[in-house]
Amino acid sequence: MLQNEPKAPYVRNRDSAFTVMMDVVVALLPLYFMAFYFYGLRALMLGLASVAAAVISDLACVLLEGKRPYPRDISSVVTGMILPLMMSAATPYYVVVSASVFAIVLVKHVFGGVGQSAFNPAAAGFAFAAACWPSQVFSYPAPFSSPAPFGAITEGLASGPAWSLFQGGVPTNDILDLLLGKFLGPMGLTNILVLATCLFYLLFRGAIGWQAPAAFFGIMVVAMMLFPRIPESGPMSLVYESTAGMWIFGGIFMLNEPGTLPKRSSSRIAYGALAAIFTILFQRFGRVEQTFAFALLLTNVFGFTFDRYSERLLRRLRRVYLATRTKLSEKKSAQRA
Amino acid sequence: MAGNFTRGIILEQRKEPALRRKLRTFLNANYAGMLFDSDLPYDGAALSGEQIIELAKLARIVDERDGVFLHEKLEKARQMKIEVVVGDAIDDEPYVSSQMNPLLFMQKETGEGLRLAAKAVGNPKIYFAIYKNLSDMDLKTKLPKDIDGVEIRRIHGRYPAEFRTMDDFDSDGPTVMIGVCSLIHLYRAVYEHRIQSTCFVTVAGGCVANPMNLEVSIGMTPTHLFERCGLAEDPGYVVIGGSMTGEICEDPDNYPVGTMSRAVLALRDEEKKRRYRCIGCGRCAEVCPENLTPFYINRYIELEKYQELAFYDIHRCIGCGTCSYICPAKIDIAENIKLAVAELRRRRRQKEGD
Ligand code: SF4
Ligand code: SF4
Repeated sequence: MLQNEPKAPYVRNRDSAFTVMMDVVVALLPLYFMAFYFYGLRALMLGLASVAAAVISDLACVLLEGKRPYPRDISSVVTGMILPLMMSAATPYYVVVSASVFAIVLVKHVFGGVGQSAFNPAAAGFAFAAACWPSQVFSYPAPFSSPAPFGAITEGLASGPAWSLFQGGVPTNDILDLLLGKFLGPMGLTNILVLATCLFYLLFRGAIGWQAPAAFFGIMVVAMMLFPRIPESGPMSLVYESTAGMWIFGGIFMLNEPGTLPKRSSSRIAYGALAAIFTILFQRFGRVEQTFAFALLLTNVFGFTFDRYSERLLRRLRRVYLATRTKLSEKKSAQRA
Repeated sequence: MAGNFTRGIILEQRKEPALRRKLRTFLNANYAGMLFDSDLPYDGAALSGEQIIELAKLARIVDERDGVFLHEKLEKARQMKIEVVVGDAIDDEPYVSSQMNPLLFMQKETGEGLRLAAKAVGNPKIYFAIYKNLSDMDLKTKLPKDIDGVEIRRIHGRYPAEFRTMDDFDSDGPTVMIGVCSLIHLYRAVYEHRIQSTCFVTVAGGCVANPMNLEVSIGMTPTHLFERCGLAEDPGYVVIGGSMTGEICEDPDNYPVGTMSRAVLALRDEEKKRRYRCIGCGRCAEVCPENLTPFYINRYIELEKYQELAFYDIHRCIGCGTCSYICPAKIDIAENIKLAVAELRRRRRQKEGD
C-alpha cells in the first residue's frame, strides 16, 4: 500500500516489518558464527550465495509481476539465510542456489508473495534440495576439517547421528559433543544451546508468538521422552533427537514464519501441535533422515483451515456471550421493576 | 480491575503539558450576549427535574461525547429509569485531555452540573469516570479521588477504554454517560441562563509551542487556535479529534471547530512514507479489542471479496484504530475497514432500493 497522506491513527507503533524481520536476521547471525567456527569460510560463502540468489530472484519476480519493489522487505534475505544452515557445509554451491531460487520463485511467488504464500519457502527449498540431491545435502564433513571455501568437496564426507537414528541405532557420539554441536550434521543448527538463546531472543523481542512453539516443543519433548524410537532411556532419546534432528531449528525459525502461520492464538496452538505430530509420524515412517521440513509443508496446508474453524468458533462464542449478556441485563431490570 | 486483562494496546499518553496547564478561554465578542429568556430561578435547588431539562433545551446543549442533544438524553434516561449517571472524562486517546482538564479546573461547575443532571433523571447514583492507562506514569497531574464530593471511578486497562466503560458500571444498574463539558454547559444554563456557544478543545501535537486546553467559541478555526497557542514549526498535518481516530483537516483556515472536535492537533510529518506489504504476523488479531481478525478482513477487502466480510463480523469493528497502530507493515487496516463498511452499507441500500 502506498501511503500518500497519513490516516488515523496518527501515532503508530515503532516496530515495522523491517525491524521484525531484522530481529530474525539478528537471531540467525550466531548460527552463522557457529557454522564459521566449525567449517570456516565455506559456511559463510554458502550463506552469501544463497542470500544473493534469493534476493535477486525475489526482485526479478516482483519486477516481472509488474509491481514496484519494496526496498525494505527483507523476507527473502531471511529465507536465503535459513536455507544453507540446514544443509551440509560441503553442499555444492549449485544445490544451495537452486534451492534458494526454487523457494523464492516457485513457492513464494507462485503461491502469492510475501505474507500470503501457502507454503513455507525455506522448508520447500530444503525439501526440494533433499529430494533432488540427497547425497550432497546429507553427507557431512567433520567439524574443524576446514573444507575448501570454493569448489566441490567429495572427500571425507560421512553421515551423522541423524542417520543412525533414522536407521534405528544409537549414535556413538559423546554426549558433550552432541550438546555443543561438535558432530557431523547440518552446518548451522547443531548447537542446541545457541538455538535456545535464539528462541528466547525472538520471544522476548516479540518477533514470534509463544503459541505455536509452545505446542510444538511441548508435544515433541513429551513424545521423545515417552516413546523413544531407539533402544535408549527417554531422556537420552531426547538428547539424541533434539541435537541431531532439525526440528528445534525448524520450530524456531520455520514454524513461526509469519506468512504461513495462522493468525489466531487457538489455531496457532493447533498448528504447532499438528506440526509436531507430523514430524513424529514422518520420523517413524518417513524415508529421509531429516523430516521436519516435509512435516511442516504438510502442516502448511492446514493453516488457513485452522483459522477458519477458529473464527467460526469465535463467532459462536461471541454470539453466546452477547446473548447471555442481554438476557442478564433484561433479567436485572425485570427484577428492579 | 478487569480492565487490566483486556486486549488492546498500551499507549504513551502524551497528555502533558496540556493537562497540567490551566484551562484558558478564547472567546469572541458574542459570548457575553448569549443568554436566553426564562422565568425560572437561577437556582438549581429550586428547580424540578423537568425544569432542568427545559433549561438544557433552551441552552441547546450538545453532548460532546456522542453529539446528542443533552435534553433529549436526559429525557430518555428519565423514562428508562436510569440508575447511574456517569460524568464522562475518559479521554483515552493520546494528546487529548479536553474532558479531564475542565473536570480538574472547573470542579465546582462539573460537580454541580452532574448533580443537576442526576436530578433531571430522577436522582440516581453519580460518578465521574477517568481513564487510568497502564502507562500514565508520565502524568504529572495528580488526579483527585473525588470532584466536589462526587466519587471518581477510574477506568483501567489498555486503549481503547471508552467503549467498554458501560460494562464497568453495569453492575450498578442501567447507566447513562454524559460528557463533562456538557455538564459545565448545563451548570451555566441553570445559573446564568446561558446558551451553549463554546466548546472545549485540546490544542496539542509536536508542532504546538504551548499545548493547552482552551474553551473556545464554536466556529473558530484551527488556525485561530494555533495563533493563540503558538506554533513551534509548520505542522505536517492538522488533525481534528484524537490521535487515534481523528480526521485530517484539509483546510485549517476555514474549518469550524465545534463541540465534537475535542482536540486540534498539529503533528509533525515524521512517519516516513515507506511501503510495506502485510507480512502476515497476526499482531492485528492479537490486539483487536473486539477480538476480530483484521488480517483476514483487510485481505478480503483488498481482494474485493466483500461477501466474505460478514463471516469475519466486520460490523462489530468499533473503528478504534488499534490494529493500524500495531501493524508493523503500517497498513491502514482501520481506514480500509471503515471504507468497506460504508461500501457494504451502500450496496445494501442499493439492493433495497431495487
Ligand atoms: S479498528 Fe476495528 S478491527 Fe481494528 S482493532 Fe479496532 S475494532 Fe478491531
Ligand atoms: S498486523 Fe499488519 S502485517 Fe501483521 S498480519 Fe495484521 S495486517 Fe498483516
